[in-house]
Amino acid sequence: MSASTEHGHDDMDAVEDVLTQALNEEIVAGTDRRETVWQRILASRDMALTAVGIGLFVFFAVTVPETFLTSTSLLNMVRNVSLIGIVAAGMAYLMIAGEIDLSVGSTLGILTIVLGVLVSRHGLNVWLAAGIVLALGAVIGAVNGLIVTRLGIPSFIVTLAMLTGYRSATLVLSEQRPWSGSGVGTFFDITGGTIAGRIPWVIVWMLVVMLLASIVLVRSRYGYHVYATGGNLEASRYSGVATGRVKLLAFAFTSFLCGLAAILLFGSLRVAEPSAGTGFEFRVIGAVIVGGVALTGGRGSVYGVFMGTIIIGMITSGLTLLGLSQHYADVATGILIVGVGAMDLLVRRAASRRLGFLDA
Amino acid sequence: MATEIGVPYLQGRGLSKSFGHVRALQAVDLDIYQHEILAIVGDNGAGKSTLTKILSGVHQPDEGELHVQGQPVRFSDSHKAREAGIATVFQNLALVDVRDVAQNLFLGREPTRMRFFVDRRKMLEDARKVIGDLRVNIPSMTVEVGQLSGGQRQSIAIGRATSQENRSIIIMDEPTAALGVKESRKVLDLILRLKESGIGIVVISHNMRHVFSVADRILVLRRGKLVGVRRKTETTPDEIVKMIVGAEIL
Repeated sequence: MSASTEHGHDDMDAVEDVLTQALNEEIVAGTDRRETVWQRILASRDMALTAVGIGLFVFFAVTVPETFLTSTSLLNMVRNVSLIGIVAAGMAYLMIAGEIDLSVGSTLGILTIVLGVLVSRHGLNVWLAAGIVLALGAVIGAVNGLIVTRLGIPSFIVTLAMLTGYRSATLVLSEQRPWSGSGVGTFFDITGGTIAGRIPWVIVWMLVVMLLASIVLVRSRYGYHVYATGGNLEASRYSGVATGRVKLLAFAFTSFLCGLAAILLFGSLRVAEPSAGTGFEFRVIGAVIVGGVALTGGRGSVYGVFMGTIIIGMITSGLTLLGLSQHYADVATGILIVGVGAMDLLVRRAASRRLGFLDA
Repeated sequence: MATEIGVPYLQGRGLSKSFGHVRALQAVDLDIYQHEILAIVGDNGAGKSTLTKILSGVHQPDEGELHVQGQPVRFSDSHKAREAGIATVFQNLALVDVRDVAQNLFLGREPTRMRFFVDRRKMLEDARKVIGDLRVNIPSMTVEVGQLSGGQRQSIAIGRATSQENRSIIIMDEPTAALGVKESRKVLDLILRLKESGIGIVVISHNMRHVFSVADRILVLRRGKLVGVRRKTETTPDEIVKMIVGAEIL
């Protein structure tokens, strides 16, 4: 820009104003139309998931009505994914905060074996042992969180190491054999038993965990900070959000829920297997991603994760009922994950294209 | 104009900061008064953002002292600076795009019930009040800030600083960067109104026109050193530009 007089500046301003205004109006007109579409998709991700869930339900209800539409089958379907749902509630916190825990399967495994060994080999009171497992779960998560937040090592790497580490430790600790519990008493009733004659307690536990997790995430100050931390780490830190503590708590919460899942698994099977939880992390993270939690953090809901869990459960049960093997269910889940990931990318591409238009 | 009256609210003496071998800031003195706008100008790498980050507690000086109302202070982090009444509007890293206006305004200090749950109703009411006081046009407190224009976003970032308790000084890092002419003017008007309300404002800017339209005093940095401070009424853009580039002042 060449040097100009004050008067020249005024003229230039006037021209620039007119141009800016025209551009702004164009942008407003352009984005208004698009944003309503995108806003709808983004805002109603939970609605879309609900629709997918209903769609799948109707599909299986029509194709295999006599086996799918029985209360036994439906209760089994939900029971089979209850432990996934419980841990997925914690994983939702973690992933919304921008972190991940790949070690939940191994954590579930070692906590189950610890419980089995304490009760079976050492004859410890099962309630006390359960309390120890919950506390140990929280400690395991806190260690993950401390390594990630204090040393700055990405959670992907830290928890990948823990995945193999805890599995090895499980094999050593278990002497590579199962440890069984007595299977009688209130502990086994409220973990592996049923309520009202037929509803498995694990379903009740999942619903309670998800309901509480949802309320805390949406309404509490901590929940607000989970979203903020994942949405913009630097801004949150500069605004006084204790981002390290937010993540640490999310790690501890997730592993604590692994402890709860271990208790419920032991209570249901009445035995602790060294292989417990193998591949569990895949299903949990799958449920969270299908449930609409953004891979980039900052977005998602526990309700969405609940729907993601149920959808995975329906696909697994439904395909089995259709006469296909369990392996097809994993393929279907995989396709679903890729599909959701692709949708996420498309939404973000569209958003950045829109921003590019604004910059122009 | 209530410039340089009484004790400066915030004083820096001999502020120095190095990053490895780079001496980002060397023995810089400055005084910041309430009711006044101080502009900090300088070329890229002159030390503007290092200086701002020291004032806002993000960086700690290697040497030198800060005084708030005459008392020596040490800001170990930005939280401590805020407690001392110094709020900062950071460039680019101010807002969480995926959250709404209300949460962004009160990020890190959300009103709560039973110290656990966010008092959403109070937060929305307070947010409307803050935005109303700024006299900026933001249609809804529940819209995600990622959906708003650059000027609206900057207003929210400023609103967060102004709504802070006991804020006496607001530091703004390039508040008009990436804004159109009209939006810049709105933000500059807002800065002037804040000054009228008694707040001391530090503005870092590249834009000489914006600097001259709002600043009372202009502080020039060059290669980490203080070149000089001029009253706007006693200098010209030409002189300031010469100070910035280091040309001989005749």
